[in-house]
Amino acid sequence: MANQAASVLLLLAAGLAGCRATPPGKLESGVASFAKHHVLIGGKDQKNPLQANAQTLADGKEAFSHYCVVCHGNDGQNTGVPFADHISPPIPSLASPDVQRYTDGQLKWILDNGIRPSGMPGSKGILSDDELWSIVVYLRHLPPAGSAGTPDIYNH
Amino acid sequence: MNRRTLSLSVSAVLLSAGLLTQTSGHSQPAPRRIEVHAKRFSYQPNEITVKKGEPVLLVLTAEDVSHGLRFRELNVDIKAKKDQPGQAQFTPERTGDFVGHCSTFCGSGHGSMTLTLHVVE
Repeated sequence: MANQAASVLLLLAAGLAGCRATPPGKLESGVASFAKHHVLIGGKDQKNPLQANAQTLADGKEAFSHYCVVCHGNDGQNTGVPFADHISPPIPSLASPDVQRYTDGQLKWILDNGIRPSGMPGSKGILSDDELWSIVVYLRHLPPAGSAGTPDIYNH
Repeated sequence: MNRRTLSLSVSAVLLSAGLLTQTSGHSQPAPRRIEVHAKRFSYQPNEITVKKGEPVLLVLTAEDVSHGLRFRELNVDIKAKKDQPGQAQFTPERTGDFVGHCSTFCGSGHGSMTLTLHVVE
C-alpha cells in the first residue's frame, strides 16, 4: 500500500515537473516550425482581398489593438509584454523571418484558428474577416521594434 | 404693349424660368430613413433592401454597449454609443449585396455581427 502511494506521488511529481514552462530545445523548435509551415497551417494559397494602403494599414493596427497587443505588444514584437519569454513556447516576434515566411493565407488561417497548443487563440467570429485580413496587412508593415510604446494594460 | 411693358414681361418670364430651374436643380428627394438596432452581437434588422440612386439615412442605435456599422465598399462607417445613436447618409450608386460589420470592438461575438444591404435597380 505504501509503495503504491509512493508511486502515485512520484508520478504526480514527475508530471508536474514536466509541466514547467521551460524553453523548447533547438530540435523541438525546428520540428515544430517545419510542421507548422509545411503540414499544420492551412490557407497557403489564399490571397488577401484587401490591398495594402494607408486605410487598410490603419484598420489593421486598430483591429490588432483590440487584444492581440496583450501578448504581442503594440508593435507585434512583444515590446512591454512582461511574460513574452516566460511561456513555452515563447511568444515569437511577428517581425521574425519564421513568422514572415508564412503566406498571407497562412497568417489569416492562424488568426482564424489559432495554433494549438502554443496558446495562440483563434479569432474567427470574434473579429470579422475584414478585420482579420487588415491585421495581415498590419503584420506585413509592422513598425520598428519599440517604436509603438507599451500596451496600455501594462502601464498601470 | 409698349416697349417698357414688353421688357418687364420678358424679364418676369426669364426670372420665373430661372427660379424654376434653380429650384428643380437643387431639390433632392428626402432620404429614406432606416433605423437599425444593435444589441448583443446582432443587428435588427439584419437585412435591408434599398434602391440604387435612392438616398438613404441609416440610423444606428446601440442598445447595450458601443457598436459600429461599416460598409467598406460603400465608404460608410457609423459609430454609436449606448443612448447616443449615430447616423450616415449616402446614396448607393451600384447594385449588389454589401455586408456591413461592426466597427467598434464589442466583445466575443463582435466578428459575427453582420448586416446585409441589398441594393437593387
